[in-house]
Amino acid sequence: MLELAAGQGGMPDWLWNFILAALKATGVLAFAMASAGLLTWVERKVAARIQRRRGPEVVGGPWGVLQPLADGVKLFAKEDVMPRAVDRWVWALAPSVIFFPVIMVFLVIPLDPKFGALRDLNIALVYLAAVTSFTVLGIFMAGWGSNNKYSLIGAMRAIAMIVSYEIPLVLSVVGVVLAAGSLSLVDIVEAQDEMWFIIPQFLGFVVFYIASLAELNRTPFDLVTGESEIVMGYLTEYSGIRAGLMIFSEYIGLLATSLVAASLFLGGWHGPFGTDSVVWLLLKAFFLVFVAMWIRWTLPRLRIDQVMNLGWKFLLPVSIANVVLTGAWIMVR
Amino acid sequence: MSGLSDVVRTAKSILTGHGITLKEFFREPVTVRYPQEKIEYPRGVRGIPSQKVNPETGDLNCTACGLCARACPVGVITVEAMVGPDGKKMQYPAKYELDYTRCLVCNLCVEACPFDALEMSDMTELSSFSSEDLVFDRDRLAEIWKRSHAARIAGGEKI
Ligand code: SF4
Ligand code: SF4
Repeated sequence: MLELAAGQGGMPDWLWNFILAALKATGVLAFAMASAGLLTWVERKVAARIQRRRGPEVVGGPWGVLQPLADGVKLFAKEDVMPRAVDRWVWALAPSVIFFPVIMVFLVIPLDPKFGALRDLNIALVYLAAVTSFTVLGIFMAGWGSNNKYSLIGAMRAIAMIVSYEIPLVLSVVGVVLAAGSLSLVDIVEAQDEMWFIIPQFLGFVVFYIASLAELNRTPFDLVTGESEIVMGYLTEYSGIRAGLMIFSEYIGLLATSLVAASLFLGGWHGPFGTDSVVWLLLKAFFLVFVAMWIRWTLPRLRIDQVMNLGWKFLLPVSIANVVLTGAWIMVR
Repeated sequence: MSGLSDVVRTAKSILTGHGITLKEFFREPVTVRYPQEKIEYPRGVRGIPSQKVNPETGDLNCTACGLCARACPVGVITVEAMVGPDGKKMQYPAKYELDYTRCLVCNLCVEACPFDALEMSDMTELSSFSSEDLVFDRDRLAEIWKRSHAARIAGGEKI
């Protein structure tokens, strides 16, 4: 991390830190919002191309890239409907409770070899596990506050899924932590100088990717919404800008998870021929995002019992085996 | 061990699926950008029914017998015969109206006509801002036939 702190231009430390923090937060928010908007467009384009359609292209810009702007304006301009039966505060707060944890993930992601992360925590992975668990709270608030059976069932499914997949998710990272010998993401990326962890930790990568798709409620684990049975799940009662915020959090979450996966397994900023920079990180992350979209338009969704079976009977044993194998390999080495 | 072979089979089928979707991803879209681009209609497509015009005389084939009006399941055709100078009805329509707002484009009127006076045209773009506009009279139906007939001949159809 840049150590710029300490008395810049006669300013008191606290003021300088405050300004720095505000700048970083603004940067992260702007980046996250812009890329989430872009991702909604990318998703629609990928879906269209896989189905041999053209996707949005009428609104403007090359290939209709301005579509998210039009969608955003539409969502902002919508009437803010609050159903009479909802639990006011819980319901109104839920989108923010879902949104902020996803944004907080960006804090610890290692960006550049010179710059490091926005904040290089030495317990970055513990921080990530803690912060992302907040989403569950937001989802439960949305489901419960909506006072509606579809929302509640959707939220319960999401929570059951997120809570069970959190275990394989964290365990799959343990292998990486053992190999790198550190919990800090910057150290983990630096440890991949020779070889990306996806090679020795392939099992871990597979488990991590599957589990994070489940955490994000993406296909094949998107059973929290289902038009034919529970409408939009916990999103049912939301409209306008609140629904927009929740959909945005899903896409920001996808990007954040891909950034974390790229740092953990794909070598983060490392590129070939000494071209290490943030560009590589973004390329890898966007590739992983593309893979998630590719999966979404290929695989059918699972039933809730199949989801639970996959999580507890397959991913959990595999991730434990991965930890044991990694430990044995480190001892032998 | 069946568990392991299950895993292998699942992984294989997932990868096959992804191969197919990736192949489709790089293929050219089949979308036609409709109002700007149009496709040629296949033969026998049914637009609004139209009044055939005799190419030599320029008259309609219709004799105002009214069988099409009887055959129409929704009763949107109104026929009135021309009244001659002697006060008798002539075998020619004075008024022939087709209310397209309720037409089913079912072809029954064409089948009922004993004088080969009707034909389903290829006119499908008939949207309008007023419903009065969609009540087609004799001359408009003849115009539609002429256009659609010309287009079909230009399209290489033998009639
Ligand atoms: S096409 Fe069918 S509905 Fe339309 S006018 Fe002819 S008989 Fe009536
Ligand atoms: S179109 Fe045919 S069926 Fe209808 S009134 Fe004329 S001749 Fe008779």
